[in-house]
Amino acid sequence: MTPAAQNALIALVITVLLFGTVIGAVEYLNRARVAELSNIEDKIAIDTLSLETQFDLLAEAPCTDITEGSVLSTELNDLAERLSYTEERLGSDNDEVIKLKRQYTLLQIKDYLLMKRLSKECKNLNPVFVLYFYSNKDGDCPGCAEAGYALSYLRSTYPRLRVYSFDYNLDLGALKTFEAVLGIKPPFPAYVISNAKFNSLTSLSDLESKLPLDLLATSTATSTKK
Amino acid sequence: MTEAILYVIIFLTLYFQAFMLLTYVSRSARERRAKSPMTADFPHVAVIVPCFNEESTIGSTVESLKALNYPKDKLEIVLVNDGSTDNTRSVMDAYANDPHIMVIHKENGGKHSAMNLGIERTTAEFIGCLDADSFVHENALSEIIPHFDHENVGAVTASMSVHEPKNALQSMQYAEYLLGIALRHIISSVNGLYVTPGPFSFYRRSVLAKVGGFRYAHQTEDMEMAMRLQKAGYTIENAPRAQVYTKAPHTLWALIKQRTRWTSGFIRNAWDYRAIIGNPRYGVLGLLIMPLGILALVAGMGLFVMTTIDTTRSIASAIAMQGEVPLTFVFSMPGLDWFYFPITEVLMLCLVGISIIFVTMIIGKRISGVPGTLGAGLIWYLTLYSLISPVWLFRSVRDVAFGYSRSWR
Repeated sequence: MTPAAQNALIALVITVLLFGTVIGAVEYLNRARVAELSNIEDKIAIDTLSLETQFDLLAEAPCTDITEGSVLSTELNDLAERLSYTEERLGSDNDEVIKLKRQYTLLQIKDYLLMKRLSKECKNLNPVFVLYFYSNKDGDCPGCAEAGYALSYLRSTYPRLRVYSFDYNLDLGALKTFEAVLGIKPPFPAYVISNAKFNSLTSLSDLESKLPLDLLATSTATSTKK
Repeated sequence: MTEAILYVIIFLTLYFQAFMLLTYVSRSARERRAKSPMTADFPHVAVIVPCFNEESTIGSTVESLKALNYPKDKLEIVLVNDGSTDNTRSVMDAYANDPHIMVIHKENGGKHSAMNLGIERTTAEFIGCLDADSFVHENALSEIIPHFDHENVGAVTASMSVHEPKNALQSMQYAEYLLGIALRHIISSVNGLYVTPGPFSFYRRSVLAKVGGFRYAHQTEDMEMAMRLQKAGYTIENAPRAQVYTKAPHTLWALIKQRTRWTSGFIRNAWDYRAIIGNPRYGVLGLLIMPLGILALVAGMGLFVMTTIDTTRSIASAIAMQGEVPLTFVFSMPGLDWFYFPITEVLMLCLVGISIIFVTMIIGKRISGVPGTLGAGLIWYLTLYSLISPVWLFRSVRDVAFGYSRSWR
């Protein structure tokens, strides 16, 4: 074998190793991202349990001890943003992403139900709920990207706004029941805003017009994308 | 599908780079770098300077040749005026009384005809060419001749560089030429060169006699000659320390015109010498350099199209997504968080490729001793080159496809 042929062969091995190393490194980073998400979800799960316990003690504890700031909005927003980024990177059909989304969805439903109960009992809490249902299926929801972005902006503009986003097609029993109870149907995006149902709202002005602006105070907070 | 194509292109690019670096440290390349400049037994050498309307540059070209560290009685300078319509004739005539300079005036017939007339008029053992827009370092010739150390060496090329770049475009070319210096040196060590550039390439007279003189070859006579030499089984060497400086285009349009000529010349000559491509008989040139050269051309255009489509789509989707959301929110900076670092396989592999390009440029600078700083050139190379090179790639392909020939200037 000539020296040039030897170099050609060694170069091939080096290139394959280089590709393997880079793919491995990025895979490692993605796994670290998933682990981070899992940690956040675990933390939220504990916080939810803590809040439920706190709520169970409500009979003996004054409502003033519970404020909107003490509950999960910030963590959920942060998780939503990270999950959305991870979904973009790994794909919506990735097993890890689906698992994390299912946990996230459950946490959102629990948080929503809990906040509903809290706001009923504690008059000092006046959250405004937006339940947002989107679809990732091709052609199902061309306006979802715009709607998700507009909601992120609204969430950052109105900190008292509690936006919960759900992938309509996610295979999760609790979500299916939730959708059935609320009567969510296509076309998408579909919403429940302050107990009223809407479909196909995508623009910022359309969404803002449905919000009870008198209940929302303007300030800045962490943004969250779909 | 597009992602798969992208990975194939990146793989082949990195493979080529790995092969180049390995070859650089190989024995054959090290031996070539170690060759000492000529100090005795100087052979008779002629340098032909074909000129067409070079009144402003011919003077400095000749002066640099006269300053060469080479015995005057062994060096003949042949100035061939190829029917210039400017003041080139009188500038050249000023040298007519110099016993070591031969001045020839002829009807315009193209660079190949000027070269052939010069070859015909000299009896030198080694014949070089120096474009009239270039000038040489005083040691260039004594660095070149020792590389004719085997009778099979048909030609030896020099290390071309840009002298004192004046603007961003010339800085970009300065970096590009350093890359070229390293690649030419490395590729020559496996006899893979397919061009003997106009600035200061030398030929063995006996070889020229066997393969024939220069031909009209799609305005890239130096490429045709190199391919002909390769096809005839001769080797083309490179003298990395033989510095020659060329006048790099300083406007975008001039650069595009020059590169269109080079690229269309490459396509046409590659077609004329297609027997070399993929042919194991021609070793690295046939199996690696020529196929990858063609692939680089196709990939350059393909990547540009893919990037343009992707960028347009992303912008359209971002505009659609933004809707009525204020721009202040859109452009709000996300906090520094490792989680959001956009590290992808493609990005990492591209960074590896860019690092190797940088290393190769440094190699080019070190082995040639070309003065100047690389910093600005590298930045301009990385930012400008991929944006403007598709222009001459597409232009060249269009010219070849429609059989269009452009003028030199």
